[in-house]
Amino acid sequence: MSRMSRRDGDVMVEFRDVSRRFTLHHETRNSFQDWFIGLVHPRGKGEEFWAVKDVSFQIRRGEAFGFLGRNGAGKSTILKLVTRVLEPTSGQIHINGHTHAMLELGAGFHPELSGRDNVYLNGSIYGFSRRQMREKFDAIVQFAELERFIDTPVKHYSSGMFMRLGFAIAVHMDPEILVIDEVMAVGDTAFQRKGYQALLDLKAAGTTILFVSHNSDNMRDFCDRAVLLEHGRLIDSGPAGTVVDHYLRMLEEEPAGVGILMVRPVDEAGAPTDRVASGDDLIVDVLVRVPNGSWTGDMQLALDLNDPAGTQLYGSTVGLPDELPVANGNDPTIRRVRGVFRGLRLAGGAITIAATLLRSGQAEPVDRQETEVDVEAPWSIGERGILRLEHDWEWETSDQLPASSATMIENGTPEVEAQRPGK
Amino acid sequence: MTAPVNHTPARKGARLASQALEAVRYTSLIRNLVAKDLKVRYKNSALGFLWSLLNPLLMMVVFTFVFTQLLNQHIPDFPVFVLVALLPWNWCATAISGGTTMLVDNASLINKVYFPRVLLPVSGVLSTGVNYVLSLPALFLIMAAFGSPFTPWIVMIPVVVLTQALFLIALVLILAPLNVYFRDTMVLVEVGLTAWFFMTPVFYDVQSIVSPALAAWMYRLNPMAAIIEEYRIILYHGAVPDPLFMGRALMTSLVLLIVGYLVFTRLSRNLGEHL
Repeated sequence: MSRMSRRDGDVMVEFRDVSRRFTLHHETRNSFQDWFIGLVHPRGKGEEFWAVKDVSFQIRRGEAFGFLGRNGAGKSTILKLVTRVLEPTSGQIHINGHTHAMLELGAGFHPELSGRDNVYLNGSIYGFSRRQMREKFDAIVQFAELERFIDTPVKHYSSGMFMRLGFAIAVHMDPEILVIDEVMAVGDTAFQRKGYQALLDLKAAGTTILFVSHNSDNMRDFCDRAVLLEHGRLIDSGPAGTVVDHYLRMLEEEPAGVGILMVRPVDEAGAPTDRVASGDDLIVDVLVRVPNGSWTGDMQLALDLNDPAGTQLYGSTVGLPDELPVANGNDPTIRRVRGVFRGLRLAGGAITIAATLLRSGQAEPVDRQETEVDVEAPWSIGERGILRLEHDWEWETSDQLPASSATMIENGTPEVEAQRPGK
Repeated sequence: MTAPVNHTPARKGARLASQALEAVRYTSLIRNLVAKDLKVRYKNSALGFLWSLLNPLLMMVVFTFVFTQLLNQHIPDFPVFVLVALLPWNWCATAISGGTTMLVDNASLINKVYFPRVLLPVSGVLSTGVNYVLSLPALFLIMAAFGSPFTPWIVMIPVVVLTQALFLIALVLILAPLNVYFRDTMVLVEVGLTAWFFMTPVFYDVQSIVSPALAAWMYRLNPMAAIIEEYRIILYHGAVPDPLFMGRALMTSLVLLIVGYLVFTRLSRNLGEHL
């Protein structure tokens, strides 16, 4: 590693074929009980998912370097790798200098402690001694404009004060490498301008800045170079302006990327319908828009049935294959997924069918659409509930029973009497 | 701090050594974490630090009543006898139960900032330790009131405290990451602490165990039994602790600490994913 820094002392951050894998445990085993169940009933190793795959880049001293890409493209994972919050699964990372991260302003603040104590605590989390922090203290408080409140516990701070203090600490740590994840929107406009100016000053003073933002104007103004990521892979790198253009083009070309075009109940012949008889099969077609070349192997489709009161009646999720077959005679960008729910034994009324498209490792759904279907149930007297079950009533005739039981039924519990249908 | 950082999954030994060195550079973090723990603990109660003195004193009264009035144990100066053991036991119990949840409680910090993770459990043991040391003057007052002997051997107390600190850190280093993977570790720890309390000579004398073989095994299997016995020899009996005995307890703690550190580095690699 020292060899590298001698060869080129100006490289502050270098990624060489870095990959990071996450294992998605759909049901995390978080107790010994689950673990023992796992011994008896292995459930497979969980789905693997590469948040970052074979990424290589170099960032030089004093550069402002941007990371672009959609949600889940791997930007935040890369920042966490740079700050050593995460370790790579494979590949090499060289960091040449003291790193300070602004992944979340005020991370590590303790609500019960005063602003003053939190400044010192936060400084020591980043490896600064008390003495070093004492020298910076006044500048931090002044920058955060918190002179009057610095001895108040931070739990009484407004969110703006909280963020201002976090930001002030970060810019006063004299970091050689500063990592920023979407934190430009701090405080009021005046403070934002001040914050932006502080970042420009740091950059001018030679700080290397790694920057993630969805604001393409910020990115274009502030960054020298940038990379574009998709599905954890690096798909473009170069001058920030060019890469931002590429990113914007990418967003335009695929207005919403993979999405749900339509969800509708159909009858057995496949024709759209809006009603289904209770006890029959409910067939739901989901038309998925798949732009050419899009891969669906990391997506799941969920169908959920809710009654008018919002009670979830049933839900099921399926992982999609790498490439969905093209529906017959249709536009090749439209694929069909059909869910068949057999014997829908429901009470009558409108139920909601929600189709949700999810991508692995991403909390936000990719797309979601709802429709309604009318369940027709011919109720007879004496039935109630949200289900309509196929049922029979039986009772034994008294001559088959021992005398005592027969009397019991004769003298009967009121419920038994009341539930006899068709009286 | 300007040294290049290389985190590739290679060269394990060098990596462990550099990690240990790094932890030393963060001494100011340890101090601040300990200060934070103590400040937060005493901030919201009117009696503050007094509680940590009152609690063992009240327990001492309860134990003395039970064992001298109800059970008729013939141990002279029973309040001193039990308090000498109760204070370090409380350190043990609070350090273990607090340390076990340390990583889970600090999940947000762990997922946002890099710092040597090992410092969190260590600071937990140290802050409860500071609490223990601060309660010693109260013990000395009680000892003076009962006319217990103050011998020069009191200078050996720091060695025993160190032994106990190393032992507790070792245990917490294993339990804290385990609790991340299995959240019910904490439940088992609570039960274990109760059992452990009875298996440790806090309110009884090791000499009074019916089988001497069992007493010997208690020392071998339960470092806390040995540690508490050392406190008791020095402070209650006013005698010299056997240096061999003390040395063995210290060595056991050191070996356990190394094991604990290795377990911790192994288990804490993917902490962020599970928190």
